[in-house]
Amino acid sequence: MSTFPLKIVTPDGLIYDGDAERLIVRSTTGDLAIMARHINFVTPLGMGKATVIANGERREAACIGGMLSVVDGSVTLVPTTFEWSDKIDVDRAEASQQRAENILHNQNSTDTDIRLAEARLHRALVRKSVAGRK
Amino acid sequence: MAGVSTKEIKNRIRSMESTKQITKAMEMVAASKLRHCQAQVQNSRPYFEILHATIEDIIRTNRDFSSPFFADRAEGKTVFIVIGGDRGLAGGYNSNVLKLVQSKIDACPNALVLPIGKRALDYCVSHKIPVLTGTYAEAAGVSIGDCFSIAKQLSKGFLAGEYNGVQIAYTNFVSMLSQTPDTMQLLPLTCDEELRKNGAESGILYEPSGEEVFASVVPEYLGGILYGTLCESRASEQAARRSAMDSATQNAEDMIADLSLKFNRARQASITQEITEIVAGS
Repeated sequence: MSTFPLKIVTPDGLIYDGDAERLIVRSTTGDLAIMARHINFVTPLGMGKATVIANGERREAACIGGMLSVVDGSVTLVPTTFEWSDKIDVDRAEASQQRAENILHNQNSTDTDIRLAEARLHRALVRKSVAGRK
Repeated sequence: MAGVSTKEIKNRIRSMESTKQITKAMEMVAASKLRHCQAQVQNSRPYFEILHATIEDIIRTNRDFSSPFFADRAEGKTVFIVIGGDRGLAGGYNSNVLKLVQSKIDACPNALVLPIGKRALDYCVSHKIPVLTGTYAEAAGVSIGDCFSIAKQLSKGFLAGEYNGVQIAYTNFVSMLSQTPDTMQLLPLTCDEELRKNGAESGILYEPSGEEVFASVVPEYLGGILYGTLCESRASEQAARRSAMDSATQNAEDMIADLSLKFNRARQASITQEITEIVAGS
């Protein structure tokens, strides 16, 4: 299968640099897969599971925020956070989910709090689901 | 007979020695923290370079829309994000960046400050400069998530017309020995007209649309810059503290050497005097 060069960079550093056969990510409009010889392309990312398939091997990760760009055949994924499924801190996600739910259930929460809590809950759920499915 | 008694000199030497121990320890702590900060700066650099390149690409090749992020307004407040340290004893680190901010604020009638770092907050409070929020008073505790939420909040305020610009004051980590305070304009975005005219159509497909990509990437980009400058400032703080403590240790050593010399002279003088007294008495 033909491959394309893939780079995954986050503020914490370079996570992946090598060839891949396929990359599946969740954009703001839905899941999309990138394969070799894709047209030049830029899209913002949503929150969801990202899958990298290289050498027939499949690796999953929780990928949140940022953007994806394809320029001249090389693909760059620039997420805000990117955690491989085996490196996700499930306890932390659990605690974060708990905290977010508490805020959402609280009648006195302000709009900003609720919006932040919703985003936090979403992130926690993404992390948990990716970690659980490995 | 020496002017000061040997006992007094001895006390001063002892106190100098404990001061030296403290400054030496602080220097070593700063050096080890600095290594950590430098690694962080290096790790995050590729991320910003790619974000920056993409934004520039969109600006250069875009023909269809003009983003509200470019709007140049007169009304509204100008937000200054000031990144300072949490503690003193870092040479000129805090005062340099605050001096620069003060000169900028003096030139700007409607300034609002978002201080990051305890020193920056204290400065605003004591100089009665209006503060946007004091939530980020601890520079060491500001995470990347905080940077993104600050950026989101500010860009929303900018789009709503509440702010007419956002500037950031930070300290550039030039080298171990030199750190320079600097300001950078985050909003409104500036666009080189020449670049735009000469830019060819890149043929990049933006999904859902160039406008929407831009609208969601810009706050991300600002958050990225904020985090990057924060890393630079933290590294600068540690480097400034390290060199300040290094020279303090050096000074303590010089003083100890000087005092030891005085002590020995005083001791010698008192021995000589005793001998003279004994000889004269016999």
